[in-house]
Amino acid sequence: MPSDMILSPPDAPGLLSRAVIYTRSRHWTFRAGVAIVAAMIALIALAPWIAPHDPGAQDLLGRLKGPTAVHWLGTDHLGRDVLSRLLIGRQFTVTISAVAVVITLVIGTVIGVMAGRAGGLADELAMRTVDLLISVPDVVIAIFLIGVFGPGWLTLLVALTLTGWTPYARLARGLTREVNAREYIRAAEVLGMKRSFVMFRHILPNCIRPITAISFLRFGHKLITVGGLSYLGLGVQPPNPDWGLMLAEAQPYLERAPLLMIAPGAVIFLAALGVTWIGHGMEIDTSGTGEDRT
Amino acid sequence: MWKLVLQRLSILVAMLLIVSVAAFAVPLMSDGDPARTILMSRTSDFNLDPDAVESLRTELGLDRTLAAQYFGWLGHALRGDLGFSFATRQPVLSEIARALAVSLTLALTALGWALLVALPLGTLAAMRPGGKLDGATTLLIQTLVATPEYWFAPVSVLVFSLWLGVLPSAGWQGPSSLILPALALSLRPMAYFTQITRAAMSDVLQAPYISAARARGLSYNQSVLRHGLRNGSLPVITFFALWFAGLLGGSVVVEVIFAIPGMGRLLYDAVINNDVPMLQGAFVAMVGLAIVINTAADVFYVLINPAMRGRHAQ
Repeated sequence: MPSDMILSPPDAPGLLSRAVIYTRSRHWTFRAGVAIVAAMIALIALAPWIAPHDPGAQDLLGRLKGPTAVHWLGTDHLGRDVLSRLLIGRQFTVTISAVAVVITLVIGTVIGVMAGRAGGLADELAMRTVDLLISVPDVVIAIFLIGVFGPGWLTLLVALTLTGWTPYARLARGLTREVNAREYIRAAEVLGMKRSFVMFRHILPNCIRPITAISFLRFGHKLITVGGLSYLGLGVQPPNPDWGLMLAEAQPYLERAPLLMIAPGAVIFLAALGVTWIGHGMEIDTSGTGEDRT
Repeated sequence: MWKLVLQRLSILVAMLLIVSVAAFAVPLMSDGDPARTILMSRTSDFNLDPDAVESLRTELGLDRTLAAQYFGWLGHALRGDLGFSFATRQPVLSEIARALAVSLTLALTALGWALLVALPLGTLAAMRPGGKLDGATTLLIQTLVATPEYWFAPVSVLVFSLWLGVLPSAGWQGPSSLILPALALSLRPMAYFTQITRAAMSDVLQAPYISAARARGLSYNQSVLRHGLRNGSLPVITFFALWFAGLLGGSVVVEVIFAIPGMGRLLYDAVINNDVPMLQGAFVAMVGLAIVINTAADVFYVLINPAMRGRHAQ
């Protein structure tokens, strides 16, 4: 468990700076991750202006072409420009994954901190639930809900949230118990500080960095899961461009136009790798070794 | 210790009940009428005779109260009767049993392969922390975690089936059709197993008994092999169970890509065919199995490791 970070004095800077600016990681993978993610965010934001073609414009005579000067990454089975579709198409997968990460982070941290502070039966019950839920594959829950309610962003969010909060709860609970044993907590209690003061001034600031670190790792995981559901045709519905869906659509033309399948996969891979590197860099920073991040 | 085991079992039963309620109740929340769905799937006719719908509703017991319906369903489910698939008209349980055998084979192959790579790699990385191999291992772990199976699988098919022509691209005949899916499925567990082994071994290698072994004149490698590995691989057991439980159901994407008739494919087909009994059955089976296996591993871990007994009491 992280210990050196907890030694930091309680008067260290605020939440945001602890989470981001104070990351001292010098490892090249962390920097590369930041570079990849920053480049991707810039490309997403600028996509409507820099996309070379209309992502929906079809050209049936020029379908399944390899890379040319006009179409840098070639064209798909309907003659649409692959590069433009990649640039526009990422938005759904990324947004759903990001929203799911934020929701699960908040729920998990709240449950974890409360369980850690409360102790006793409530703590025991919460942690046993976490132990069991953590082994339930989110894809199964997602597909079950999609099977009943049909594909949609709400279904996806609910499915990703049901089990997604567990790693945060486990981590936040562990950190809370560690901080709880510190003398400055007892000092604050002896001084008659309110529970909420102890919570927000002492406990949350000590949780925020490790939790931000695993949230990046979880984000990479979610990207792949959501992309997989789109791949199965259970996420984004055609003709909206989406990475996973593009991969699925490229499947029949595997031999004729391999780039059609390789390009969207490479983009998902790079995005996931970028956030994983960031998360790992932050984790090294807080704990030395990456421990349990399932 | 037995109190702990008993406590785990009661939580297990409670969770299983929650799962069963979810499996039963969630389909009721959709706006479809099961009787109409069944009739439509049987007759492929959208103009249904209202009398036929009504009589089927009575036959299915849909006119009873929700609680009566649930306990009726649960009673049947506990006796192994999960109903009949809308799509294939086969008993859901026998379809699940068949699919489970396939997924089991696939999961064990993938996890076995993952362990085979992860244990030596994680150990070697832990033996020289910060060394070249350690750095390369970390990089490999991150790459494996970030690789989507649905990207790795088509690329491997392209290389090994279409270009080299050495392995089948899909299907479930013989051991050769197992290789590519198992490989695709092993990426993520391999990453996590390596990571866990590395973390566990670096803890173990700082233990006094390693120094003692060194003092007795054993070389570093010998002390790692004879004393470190046994203790270092303990946490891996827990993770193996966790992944085993997950892979029984979590392999939907890989099973669909390679047309493997396992649990994932079953669940996927149930969604595509709007096959509610199959969907419920597969959901209960997958989530239930995950929870049961997880509890079993936890109890096993407590039983074999006396040091764990007091862990949760703190």
